[in-house]
Amino acid sequence: MFALGFRCVAAGMCVAIGLAVLDAAAGPAEVAQIKSRQGKFRDMGGALKAINDELKKRTIDWDNTVAPNAQTIKDRSGYLPNWFPKGSGPESGAKTYALPAIWQNSDDFVTLGKVAQVEAAKLNQVAISKDANALKEEVEAMGKACKACHDSYRSPDYAKQNDD
Amino acid sequence: MTSSEMSHMQSAVADTTDLRVWDLPVRAMHWLLVIGIGICWWTGLHNELEYHLYSGYAILWIVLMRLYWGLVGSSTARFVNFVRGPKAVLDYASTLHRRDTLHAHGHNALGAVSIVLMVGLVLAVLILGLFAVDVDGLYSGPLSSYVTFKQGRHLAHLHYYWFTILLWVIALHLAAMIFYFIYKRQNLVAPMISGKRRRNAGDTEMEIAPLWRFAIGGVIATAIVWAVSIGFYF
Repeated sequence: MFALGFRCVAAGMCVAIGLAVLDAAAGPAEVAQIKSRQGKFRDMGGALKAINDELKKRTIDWDNTVAPNAQTIKDRSGYLPNWFPKGSGPESGAKTYALPAIWQNSDDFVTLGKVAQVEAAKLNQVAISKDANALKEEVEAMGKACKACHDSYRSPDYAKQNDD
Repeated sequence: MTSSEMSHMQSAVADTTDLRVWDLPVRAMHWLLVIGIGICWWTGLHNELEYHLYSGYAILWIVLMRLYWGLVGSSTARFVNFVRGPKAVLDYASTLHRRDTLHAHGHNALGAVSIVLMVGLVLAVLILGLFAVDVDGLYSGPLSSYVTFKQGRHLAHLHYYWFTILLWVIALHLAAMIFYFIYKRQNLVAPMISGKRRRNAGDTEMEIAPLWRFAIGGVIATAIVWAVSIGFYF
């Protein structure tokens, strides 16, 4: 009985040490990189939500909501290809939903990123034009561009975690 | 023929006739809810949120109708006829091990607990979903404009968390069906399809509510779902 308990404790300690080592394997640079890009993606998600909220309302607040949020999306999207340097995937050991496919199919990934940049620029134009129908269409196009990448290159596990 | 033979024959005839236990709206709502939850589950897991929203609206309609039918529907659908206090539930639970108990007319006391639990959980998951925000800000719930991105993300996680609890209760519901079928030799699934089961001596007929009453509720529920879907921005 004592031996079994001892073995359980020893096994538990080995797992704990293993996890600690794995966590420590994530270099501070990679962790900072991952955290930073997650923050920027969150900004973009929040900005698109804010624009979508306006579309639901009777009157659209172009100047205070749509324009600044469209600008946020455009600004953030500009840096999109630089957010995924080699080594900032799951192999870093840090918590990320970026799939290894990003670096395996990097051409496709970069192409999709450029499509998102084009749509973000268009969205910004529409926000300045203040055309409600055009905004509706462009928000959909922007959404499709975001989703195209997320469907292939983000782990669906993100939905299960309460970390944002 | 002696009178005892007559009564024996009568009871034999009674045993082979069918008794109506579930009306058409209850059966339709049950199976549509099964399909709706299946679609919501799949679309939620695969990030197909556009269709997740549509199937969510369908479920909202079904749950509103089930609540309405629980007040004004047919006798076996009404909450007053099957929701029981803790004593009745415990009394019923104490007979679970017996194999000779009769098929309950409508929900049994313990089954009622699981019905209330399931309807309550579906409603809770629905309400959380109405305010939930997806991480991309693309297909958020229709009422998500009333919460911030951060709050909406938190509600989305609760939406997911409570759904997993609902899945466990559904699993328990299925386990109970299997238990009744194997241990008690009572098929509870067939009556939910046909609406009828074999009659027991002493069973009384259920009162069937007219379908026009269901239709009136249907119009009201549709109006509520529509108002919710546009976020009450009339």
